[in-house]
Amino acid sequence: MNLRMKSLAASTILSLGLISGPALAEELRFTVWTGSEAHLKMLNEIAESFKATKPDVTVRFETIPAADYTQKLTFQLAGGNPPDLGWMMEDAAPTFAAAGVLMDLGPTLREAEGYDFADYSEPALGLWTKAETVYGVPFSTSPFMIFYNKTLFDEAGLEDPLQLAASGKWNMDTFQEVAKTIKDKTGKWGFEFKDGQGYESRIMHALMPPIRAHGGDVWANGECGFDKPEAVQAVQQLHDMVFKDKSIVPPGEQGDYFSGSSAMTINQISRASKMPEAGFEWGIAPLPSGPAGESPVIGQAAIVVFERGEQKELAAEFVAHMTNKENVAKMAQFFPPARKSVLESDAFTSANAIIPAEQMAHVSDAIAKGKVLPSHEKSPQILAAMAPRVDTLWKPDAEVKQALAGVCAAIEPLL
Amino acid sequence: MADTLTDKTSARPWRAPRLSLRRREAIEAWLFVSPTVAGFLVFFLGPLLAVMYFSLTEWNLLTQEATFVGVKNYVDALSVNPDFWHVLRNSFVFAIGLVPLNMTLALTLALALSRPFRGVVFFRTVFFAPVVTSAVAWAIVWRFLLQGEAGAVNQLLASVGIDGPNWLREPDWAMVAVIVTRVIKMVGLNMILYIAALQAIPRDYEAAARLEGASNWQIFRMVIWPLLAPTTLVIFVITMIGSFKVFDHIYLMTGGGPENGTLVLAFYIYEQGFKFFNVGYASALAMIMFVIVLVLTVIQMTLRRKDMR
Amino acid sequence: MTLTTRQARLVSRTCLIIALSVVAVPFVFPFLWMVSSGFKSATEIFGQPSLIPRVWRWQNYLELLEYQPFARQYFNSLYIAVAVTVLTLAISSLAGYALARMRFAGAGLLMLFLLSALMVPEEVTIIPNFFLIRSMGLMDTHAPLILLPVFGSHGVMATFLMRQYFLAIPKELEEAGRMDGLSRFGIWWRIALPMSRPALAAVSIITFLFSWNLFLEPLVFISSLEKFTLPLALSNFTDSYGLPLWHLQLAATSLAVVPILIVYLIAQRQIIESFALSGVKG
Repeated sequence: MNLRMKSLAASTILSLGLISGPALAEELRFTVWTGSEAHLKMLNEIAESFKATKPDVTVRFETIPAADYTQKLTFQLAGGNPPDLGWMMEDAAPTFAAAGVLMDLGPTLREAEGYDFADYSEPALGLWTKAETVYGVPFSTSPFMIFYNKTLFDEAGLEDPLQLAASGKWNMDTFQEVAKTIKDKTGKWGFEFKDGQGYESRIMHALMPPIRAHGGDVWANGECGFDKPEAVQAVQQLHDMVFKDKSIVPPGEQGDYFSGSSAMTINQISRASKMPEAGFEWGIAPLPSGPAGESPVIGQAAIVVFERGEQKELAAEFVAHMTNKENVAKMAQFFPPARKSVLESDAFTSANAIIPAEQMAHVSDAIAKGKVLPSHEKSPQILAAMAPRVDTLWKPDAEVKQALAGVCAAIEPLL
Repeated sequence: MADTLTDKTSARPWRAPRLSLRRREAIEAWLFVSPTVAGFLVFFLGPLLAVMYFSLTEWNLLTQEATFVGVKNYVDALSVNPDFWHVLRNSFVFAIGLVPLNMTLALTLALALSRPFRGVVFFRTVFFAPVVTSAVAWAIVWRFLLQGEAGAVNQLLASVGIDGPNWLREPDWAMVAVIVTRVIKMVGLNMILYIAALQAIPRDYEAAARLEGASNWQIFRMVIWPLLAPTTLVIFVITMIGSFKVFDHIYLMTGGGPENGTLVLAFYIYEQGFKFFNVGYASALAMIMFVIVLVLTVIQMTLRRKDMR
Repeated sequence: MTLTTRQARLVSRTCLIIALSVVAVPFVFPFLWMVSSGFKSATEIFGQPSLIPRVWRWQNYLELLEYQPFARQYFNSLYIAVAVTVLTLAISSLAGYALARMRFAGAGLLMLFLLSALMVPEEVTIIPNFFLIRSMGLMDTHAPLILLPVFGSHGVMATFLMRQYFLAIPKELEEAGRMDGLSRFGIWWRIALPMSRPALAAVSIITFLFSWNLFLEPLVFISSLEKFTLPLALSNFTDSYGLPLWHLQLAATSLAVVPILIVYLIAQRQIIESFALSGVKG
């Protein structure tokens, strides 16, 4: 009887499997936000090499546009249509970890042969681990760098940021000076916030670098840092640049570094792939230092496995494969690694086809010294609460101190 | 047999067959409406009841955990959460700004374009064109045109000596901008409805009034306007509901900003439910929205009924 | 100086045309700007504003097709809009006919219920519908984009429009059909429907546009690129890092808008006539 029941159940499962398609059982769905052919080619190569140990497993990389990535992922998870694994940005990590939708990868990674989990630097894992639990493995630990338009600097008769950095003069004050000179001499903008979205979706990316350079923080240990003197000083300087010097692309205006209308911007090295077609000479330099010295800011993204996926064990094994030494070295051509061994190797600095080794050295330096962008379990709410207050900041006659106090009042209950 | 199937209101001597005929007609009728009814139950009534239930729970979209909390979400919305009244105010400002502007412009354009003249086709097409354009396209273009300094709108204003505001970065101007661009986008539909209604008014009415020496304005006020009343009601209700449910336009033009100046109810519901995962709270907001729209529609219909008497 | 009636008419007509032309500017300019920018390079869009591109970049149109499955997405929007329109016509005209012409218990109550559906915005029911669609296993399919408009408040509106029109059809014609031995269904199909072409046309136009421009539902239900509809696809012209590709986006926007405008231009007289003849006037 028992046997009959079992065989009945087995045949039911079998027929269900047939209905939903036979290939499904061996295919992993992996969501990413890149649509770049070069990136996808590399990812597919890594998936192909997984077949050495798992011949029947294929990985399908599914591109979700970056702008809506976290939102669409939410719809898929809540909609009962979860991918097996995917990329995740740092600002979403705590929210998703707290909701219990991310699988603990710790056991799989620690057991994986030749994986050497300890090779990952602890600060780099900070956001992705809680005690022994590992929610994700960072594949991109990419510092914010200054991208500059050398052609415009030459036109204005200025030393470029890389030269200034070499002579130790690259700080927030010279940053403000050169931006103003560019604006006055060339009529182009001196600086554009990351992707031109500093007043909207990238508020944090706009404010973090100067605040850290001044030795402040946006929040820490449940306390808001926006209204501390360091932060106020930093933001006041930005405010002056926007409204007094008029050297930063102001709110409501579209100025685009990549099409040559701003002399500097902040971005990550993966963006360098846009540069060859830009039509001007360019370079990468570290962020300007501030009163608190150098304080690089790092944006992070990790690979996570979703708890509700049907093949999470297999997915976890693929993560172990994808983030082993060999593959991390391979991905380093686009994504700065969090593995110490790869980071310290010459291979990393010379891996990038577009960026000279001298400039890449600044990148690895920044990774070593930098701190990851702040994140929080309630990131979406905090950002939404912040946004309207930050809007009051970006007006010509705004009282910076008062506006920042308003930001703190809005987010403190959520911290 | 065909004979007995004729008009059911005419006198019938036999009782029994008539009853069964009526039953047959009822069965047929229910068959005719059954797709509508089924869809209504599954995709409308069911979900509406579900929203009522959800609104009494605390429900996280991601963890999918729900706990019953009674009217807490309503209390939160009405008295605890500082955003709610602000959002409600925005929704009303949007509707109060949009509905009269839209309807006045629609009627004016319709009056100008209801009679044929050389070029009428061109103008009708021009004013209707934005209606067939997707809201996404519309928002993309207007965001460019409304930039602070480089935008075409401000450059045009500058050429006549006006220093235009930074439209989408100042809360009040942003509201003006979203209302006006929405009106330009949607007014064509109402215009067409009014043109259709105007063309259905017999010419004799107007001619008779003119013979009695009525001025253009009197003809409009005494003859045309009353005859347009049913159309006006339909247009009002559609436009009003449409202005309360505006989502895509806000999502794409301002994202609710700046300073939450254009954060309207429909967008707020979306944000709460799908961005912050508060399904319960979002459902309570949805119920409040339902009640508001219902009340406004009922008021308008009752007023009109009184009017008719 | 006095004007003849003819002169007076000429003057007033000229004034009218001038006034209309001024009002038309904000209606026309966005289209001109959109189409012209679709031929520019990203750099030029940010440069000195001008309606004529300095360099015509036809390759924008090729690049946008390479960038995402735009043709496929275009087709998605098209076939979904057609499906929604056909289904809405069938279902709303059936129900509208029954509500206009047949007597049955519960008709009054049904009308009241449907009327209430007319007042409920999609935003109110989107969350439970999200769970409903999930439980039906229809996430990331086009089914919700077809089902929800057909059965939602838009479908109800169509039903009312059809009912209104059927009420105005002379009963005698249907009686003649009955004499010929037609069933109810036959009367609806052979007599009522052919007579209500203007109403069907009006409902088709409104429904097609409604589906064509649908944004919230695709945003919530669709996640795969190749299943996107046009509104989603248009907002998705960003490079692999989320930066907007303005020139491609504007070229794609022109591609999405211009054909519809041309269809409208060709059919505009019939469109207005059908609105005039249908019950839409209220």
